Amino acid sequence: MTQPVLSVRNLKVEFVTRRGTLRAIDDVSFDIAPGEVLGVVGESGAGKSLTGTAIIGLIDPPGRIAGGEILLQGKRIDNLDKESLRKIRGKRIGMIFQDPLTSLNPLFKISEQLVETIQTHSSMNASQARQRAIDLLIEVGIPAPEKRIDGYPHEFSGGMRQRVVIALALAAEPELIIADEPTTALDVSVQAQIITLLKKLCRERGTAVMLVTHDMGVIAETADRVAVMYAGRIAEIGPVREVVQHARHPYAKGLMGAIPTLEATASRLVQIPGSMPRLTAIPRGCAFNPRCSEVFARCHVERPEPMTVGKSEVACWLYDTKKEAAA
Amino acid sequence: MSAPKSSTDANSAFVTVRDLKKTFDVSKPWLERTIERAPKQFLKAVDGVTFDIKKGETFALVGESGSGKSTVARMVVGLLPVTGGEVMVDGISMTTTVDSAAREKLRRRIQMIFQDPYASLNPRWRVQDIIAEPIRAFNLLSSPKDITDRVGELLTLVGLSPLDGVKFPHQFSGGQRQRVAIARALASNAEFIVCDEPTSALDVSVQAQILNLMRDLQDKMGLTYLFISHNLAVVRHMATSIGVMYLGRLTEVSQAKEMFRNPRHPYTRMLLDAVPDLGMSGRARTPVQGEIPSPINPPSGCTFHPRCPLVNDRCRAEAPVPIHGVACHAVEEGRTGTMAVRKSA
Repeated sequence: MTQPVLSVRNLKVEFVTRRGTLRAIDDVSFDIAPGEVLGVVGESGAGKSLTGTAIIGLIDPPGRIAGGEILLQGKRIDNLDKESLRKIRGKRIGMIFQDPLTSLNPLFKISEQLVETIQTHSSMNASQARQRAIDLLIEVGIPAPEKRIDGYPHEFSGGMRQRVVIALALAAEPELIIADEPTTALDVSVQAQIITLLKKLCRERGTAVMLVTHDMGVIAETADRVAVMYAGRIAEIGPVREVVQHARHPYAKGLMGAIPTLEATASRLVQIPGSMPRLTAIPRGCAFNPRCSEVFARCHVERPEPMTVGKSEVACWLYDTKKEAAA
Repeated sequence: MSAPKSSTDANSAFVTVRDLKKTFDVSKPWLERTIERAPKQFLKAVDGVTFDIKKGETFALVGESGSGKSTVARMVVGLLPVTGGEVMVDGISMTTTVDSAAREKLRRRIQMIFQDPYASLNPRWRVQDIIAEPIRAFNLLSSPKDITDRVGELLTLVGLSPLDGVKFPHQFSGGQRQRVAIARALASNAEFIVCDEPTSALDVSVQAQILNLMRDLQDKMGLTYLFISHNLAVVRHMATSIGVMYLGRLTEVSQAKEMFRNPRHPYTRMLLDAVPDLGMSGRARTPVQGEIPSPINPPSGCTFHPRCPLVNDRCRAEAPVPIHGVACHAVEEGRTGTMAVRKSA
């Protein structure tokens, strides 16, 4: 088996507050293989973005990584010092954020921002870097790049700005791209363009992608595997087809049913009662138990660990084959 | 809750919008304009929009950002003065009626729900005061006891507890806040509710709760909705009929089912094709070409022509007029055969 680009092992992220320590991410493990797109979905507050932030080492105090390991190409990166992390960030791990307007500096031309990034991570001179920047813009599909490159971010539309951000992320040919809600701020028509682009670039370069989004449609179109997160844990992880069409975890099932689709005929959407617990009040046992329709005694006492069901891993007692329940 | 009374019968339109227009002045300041000898510049945000909504039905407006959906919504509720055209609700014109008393009465029956429940609720007010505001503003009830009872009733109606009234908005999640906004809209016994992207700031699971709630309330109270959204799947779930907007004009108006089964306008087809496919049928997607142009300088003729696969010379020169709800020369001339028709689900 090939070595995964990214391995996350039992990652825990905590926030130390006056009211005690909050565990925002609790025992999250997953791998991303080269060229693979892993989709991470969940409601807001589930810890999807925080997982991405933890991987690139950008968690601000009072947050801290409290346990577990993050391995990039088999080497640990979670215990590196700031300076070595900074060198990895941008060079080996690229990032795409939700709002393309805030991830570009409005006071600098696109060319300056691209050239700066390229020169930081390579030893090109100014004119080589500029040529490389133009090549990148061609690659992400910006028309007339020789002219547009000297424009400011405000002169670009939302979709074009996101393309520039993708170009920035690709500038240093990273092994892994973390895309945090890359299409949420965009119209559907533009969203489709960006998804197609992202997919094409990753296939061509073999870049691994961690795609964080709450839009299942985007995941279904783009991802190879999906992780469904709930209250800081992975509820279900598996191949995209399995999870989207035959979700096993009750939460994942509810989430799929809640999505209005163009094909659906049902007059009511599936509704998960209640809302996600606050971090201060995570229920004992399975965190989903107060909202779960198939809850039973064991769910209230014992926390389920991911177990293999078919091609997926599901953290739910319903799928525990060994029936020797907690005594 | 008392059943809404109406003078219109079930078949005629409850809300009528005729040739609605809005032009914004986007000129540079006077001095600059004089020095540069530049003419005044206008932006036609809405350019002749016409539709009807029957009582108890939902009319949805969809389109990309910048197409003028929200401007229509704001003009319909009266938050923006209209440049031209007319909005009539229950036979009373909102735009031309001189009788201010009649208009005042009408105001009570029209309410709006906004996109961002974090911005639309006053953070310094308790929820009970937020919901009671329309009741007080329209003098519907006077004794504090009655108002408290009514607020409790409304909170229960939207799935919250009457005890939640003393809380502040920040103590609620996004979905719960949107419920508060809905309760406020219902407080004045509104019959017509304009919803501007009511769920786009919410998670899918919460969105499902809010959409179900809105449909339940519609069934229970016979509400009429004008529903603005960019999400076609949400619109599919909510709407009775749909209007697709592009650069301030309606390109297609048809019954919801009909539109999804048989989209006629090339732009509608493009939008439908762009929706990510959860069914994973592996259908090949043709990504939409290009982006919505600037409304300050719209293309000549049919404003969609630079992105349209069926464009010809007539489209570049002449703006199409809606025929059977579709404003497209290609549809009129029967030139649509070259485009693959989307398989119906």
